[in-house]
Amino acid sequence: MSEQAKPNGFDIYEVFSQRTPTSSFVHQFSLLAPNHEVAMSMARENFLRRDSVVNIWVVKRDDIYVCPPEEREFLERLDNKAYRETKGYGDLQSKWRAHRERYEAEHSNNQ
Amino acid sequence: MNTDQKALQELLFQLADDDFILAYRGSEWLGLAPHIEEDVAFSSMSQDTMGHAVMFYEMLEELGAGTADDLAQLRKPQDFRNAVLVERPNGTGHYMEQPNYDWAYAVARTYLYELFKWVRLEALMSSSYQPLVQISRKMMTELRYHLMHWQTWTKHLAGGGQESRDRLQAAIAQVCQDIEGLFSFGPHADAIVAAGLIADASTLKARWLEKASDALAKNGLALPDAFPAPSHDGRAGEHTEQLADVLNTLSEVYRLDPAAAW
Amino acid sequence: MIAQTHDEKLAAFLEKIDNGGKIEADDWMPDDYRTQLIKLISMHGMSEIMGALPEKEWVPKAPTLRRKLAIMAKVQDEMGHGQLLLRVAEDLMAPLGKTREDMLNDLFTGRLKFHNVFHMEAPTWADAGVIGWLVDGAAIITQTMSLDTSYAPYSRALHRICAEEKFHAQHGESIVLALAEGTEQQRRMLQDAVTRWWPALLMFFGPPEGGKISSNQQMNMRYKIRSQTNEELRQVFFDKYVPRIFHLGLTLPDPTIRYDEAAGQWIYQQPDWDEFKQIVSGHGPRSVQRLDLRKLSYQQAQWVRDALLNNTQQAI
Repeated sequence: MSEQAKPNGFDIYEVFSQRTPTSSFVHQFSLLAPNHEVAMSMARENFLRRDSVVNIWVVKRDDIYVCPPEEREFLERLDNKAYRETKGYGDLQSKWRAHRERYEAEHSNNQ
Repeated sequence: MNTDQKALQELLFQLADDDFILAYRGSEWLGLAPHIEEDVAFSSMSQDTMGHAVMFYEMLEELGAGTADDLAQLRKPQDFRNAVLVERPNGTGHYMEQPNYDWAYAVARTYLYELFKWVRLEALMSSSYQPLVQISRKMMTELRYHLMHWQTWTKHLAGGGQESRDRLQAAIAQVCQDIEGLFSFGPHADAIVAAGLIADASTLKARWLEKASDALAKNGLALPDAFPAPSHDGRAGEHTEQLADVLNTLSEVYRLDPAAAW
Repeated sequence: MIAQTHDEKLAAFLEKIDNGGKIEADDWMPDDYRTQLIKLISMHGMSEIMGALPEKEWVPKAPTLRRKLAIMAKVQDEMGHGQLLLRVAEDLMAPLGKTREDMLNDLFTGRLKFHNVFHMEAPTWADAGVIGWLVDGAAIITQTMSLDTSYAPYSRALHRICAEEKFHAQHGESIVLALAEGTEQQRRMLQDAVTRWWPALLMFFGPPEGGKISSNQQMNMRYKIRSQTNEELRQVFFDKYVPRIFHLGLTLPDPTIRYDEAAGQWIYQQPDWDEFKQIVSGHGPRSVQRLDLRKLSYQQAQWVRDALLNNTQQAI
């Protein structure tokens, strides 16, 4: 990230945590520490006093390459990509139903 | 009360009072630690430690020794069984006025005590008293984090330049003045060990010595060659003036009316 | 299209926040937006840190083991809130070359103020209860109002803080209810504390606007840093707490307070606003003592911070 202070010479560490082995890591907050080890020794108690966690990452903010503010506009995209999402396939249920009903109708006629 | 029951209660008071008084000393640091993030972390450990004291007081309550709150707040200093090490002040001054607190002493005392606590809990895992076995396992879970945390501090103060290193080494020497007191089981020591409640004191001391020496050696620090006999045997109810002050503070409100609901 | 001139940038900024957009630390922002945020958030953060001190006095003295643990956790949270807010302020002041250390020095020299309530005495256990119940209650009201602030890092900190404040309010209510339902001595202790804290609680929200909103407030509202006036917030506080105070059979040191149906608001006696100015400028009953405590602990630990830094430099 671009704003980098050296308060008391300490660095900023971003803290991430994982709630269960199958959940993703989530960003919590940041703290000031002289190095990774000290940052880790304080991370859980500062941000996760009431949450259960199975793992923690501390990442020096300097080491994170952040999308620059002026480029964030390029993160926007048109809402025309329904073909990538389940909402783009909303007709499937009714088609399957129609096939089942036709099939069942044919079979009942044959009996 | 038969000998075994007396022995059990004596041991439980030692366990409870050690944690209770050290947690009090930790709570005096609240808001005054050297770094805001550390203040928050340290407080969690003081809460864990006081939480452990509560678990021990509740075991005593179940044995009919009195309610946990009464046991923690209404006993006289001579009835407390904590080692003198945990009642030593954090420095000069009062927590509300001119607290000249020594962080090196806080690190050295807490770390060396918690290493002792680890050894003691490990020994309690084979206690003849089943509830102690179960409770020890639970407490060791939290203690792992404490040891990691204090190990980190020891490493950083040891490697933090001459002044810091000297301060830490001096604090270790100061803590060691009182260290023998941790390895006393008091006047009922024989009954405590005979009942199979815990391994004998010399076994605990040997295990602690090994652990503490290793932990310090890793950071180029050392324990003194010999430890003086304790000035007061806290396990026998011998305490410094400071314990009376601590207990007056801890019970100031409760004593207004112990029968009231607070 | 990326705005180029200052005016274009400002216009884009205002359009963004008017549309509910949020600003991040590294986004372009007008200088006075940054200045206002630094002022507001550093004062908020330092108030949390200073607020730990009056309550901390009662941590060891709390009357039961459960209360000792609960209030320790509560004061710890206050320090934690201070940490969150100072981090937010630090990122804002980084481009100005200022750090946490500068904020602390500003606090010590009186340039950086902290909330009036934390200059006051807390002489009994009931004060600890009233701080949790009413001071935290007041804080929840002002903080909730700011949850939707245009500055995203502040909003994220406030979301964390408000979640914990709910526990604080319950912690305070639990202490207060025990005293209210208790002995004559306990009820008297509670009544005295409520009487003692009432003027400070009124002052907590700041002076009323009297029809004229200060330029600071105006700017904060234009920039969507806050959305309600001091008086609006104070009225929300009355709505919530005055009835509860009466339900407990307690009285307020203001015989005139009443809800005016026609006006749709509470009529009350103003506290002494000159006294308020005195208090926040460091002349409250405990201002000097608490600042000394903070200063002493900070100075004494300089060697520790130096050691941590030495260590890092050697390790690299």
